[in-house]
Amino acid sequence: MSKKENKNNFENSLKRLEAIVDSLEQGEVSLEESLKMFEEGIRLSKECLETLGKAELTVKQLTKDLNGKFQQTEFEEQ
Amino acid sequence: MENEKILSVSDITRQIKGVLELGFPNILVQGEISNFKLHSSGHLYFTLKDEGAQISAVMWRSRVNQLLFRPTDGMKVIARGNISVYEPRGSYQLDCIQIQPLGVGELQQAFERLKKKLSEEGLFDEGHKKPLPEFPMRLGIVTSPTGAAIRDMISVLSRRMPAVEVLLVPVKVQGIGAAEEIAEAIDDLNELKSLDVIIVGRGGGSLEDLWAFNEEIVARAIFRSKIPIISAVGHEIDYSISDFVADLRAPTPSAAAELAVKHKNELIELIRNFCYTMSSSMENSISSRRQTVETLVHSYSFNRPQDLLRQRSQSVDELMRRLEQSVTHYFQFTKHNLQSLSTRIESLNPRLVLKRGYTIVKQHGKAVSSARLLEEKQEADIEFYDGRSIVKVEQKIFNTDVKKRK
Repeated sequence: MSKKENKNNFENSLKRLEAIVDSLEQGEVSLEESLKMFEEGIRLSKECLETLGKAELTVKQLTKDLNGKFQQTEFEEQ
Repeated sequence: MENEKILSVSDITRQIKGVLELGFPNILVQGEISNFKLHSSGHLYFTLKDEGAQISAVMWRSRVNQLLFRPTDGMKVIARGNISVYEPRGSYQLDCIQIQPLGVGELQQAFERLKKKLSEEGLFDEGHKKPLPEFPMRLGIVTSPTGAAIRDMISVLSRRMPAVEVLLVPVKVQGIGAAEEIAEAIDDLNELKSLDVIIVGRGGGSLEDLWAFNEEIVARAIFRSKIPIISAVGHEIDYSISDFVADLRAPTPSAAAELAVKHKNELIELIRNFCYTMSSSMENSISSRRQTVETLVHSYSFNRPQDLLRQRSQSVDELMRRLEQSVTHYFQFTKHNLQSLSTRIESLNPRLVLKRGYTIVKQHGKAVSSARLLEEKQEADIEFYDGRSIVKVEQKIFNTDVKKRK
């Protein structure tokens, strides 16, 4: 399984955000670069907060048909 | 021999079958399992043995489904059943209705045996354990769709992190076939390649109920998984083989859900702190740069160029002065020139010439500079410096020594 296929945007965004915060805190980048990073950081924060704002858990169930093909359907609690 | 009855093989086999099958109804047999085999048809085949003898045994699929655990080689059991004879082969076997481990101790021993074996093989090695993702967004769950475990996990995840997506693979979690389903589910989820973490588990129960999670096939599927797995079987006190192989053991399914995801408020707080740190870092960065600039402005190294600048500006001043001077000179020169020019022009003024006794002859308003151009018998104007007179041209007399002007 390649890492690219198993992409977790939220985790990537949060990790990137963390790296930006570290860089800005160290203050070792140029003003121009830090302004760019700051803007990116604010954008990532917004995206992450939007993701976290999702209200309802999505639950699906995985089944296989007779040919072994996967199917995902809504899961109803019994 | 004439009076003696001769039986066919079928006759005697049929008689033996009658004696054996009617003679040993509903018996209990204690022994150790060997040559255990779960046939693809769903029937179980194995041998029961002790120090002195052995007997073939079979359990048909319809009864296998009611087994709470999977019998394994070496396990001591008590089997309930009948003796049956299989005529085509002339063999007899124990047709099992029910199999029970010889007390919990026996299951415990099977557990210890497998644990030792897998441990020696390295399935529990810390070095093989995968780190759990910090912020998983897609969770696979392998459990019963009807148990308390899935309800508990959904409730914990809804409360803590509703942003995640759950993919449940519904499986049997106890009885024969459960282990196979669990192992297949783990493999299937790995095939999907889209999950961050998998929780495998079930709620509490007896050792027999939890037995599927003590089976080798499940242990190997967990070990094989490329996706990190949290094992959550039974209650806090229950330890299963899957707990040892998994990347993380959770005491209960609810606890697994709590360990898998952070609380959203924790993350929101984290992001807010990130934003705050970024803003203050930017402010610091800008104000420290402002200070740097101010320091530089007052610094020697910055003032040296200013000195240079002053020098330059001085020379510019000098140049300006020189420029002004030259301009003044130029204007003075020009002024002088103009004066002399105007004097010269003045000297060319014909009026002044007239004063000296010359006159201008005009005919039809135009000055006539040659006798040839003067029209005879016409009037002409003679302009003096102080007036004019109108005359009539009577005769033109040419000077012979003047060449005709071109």
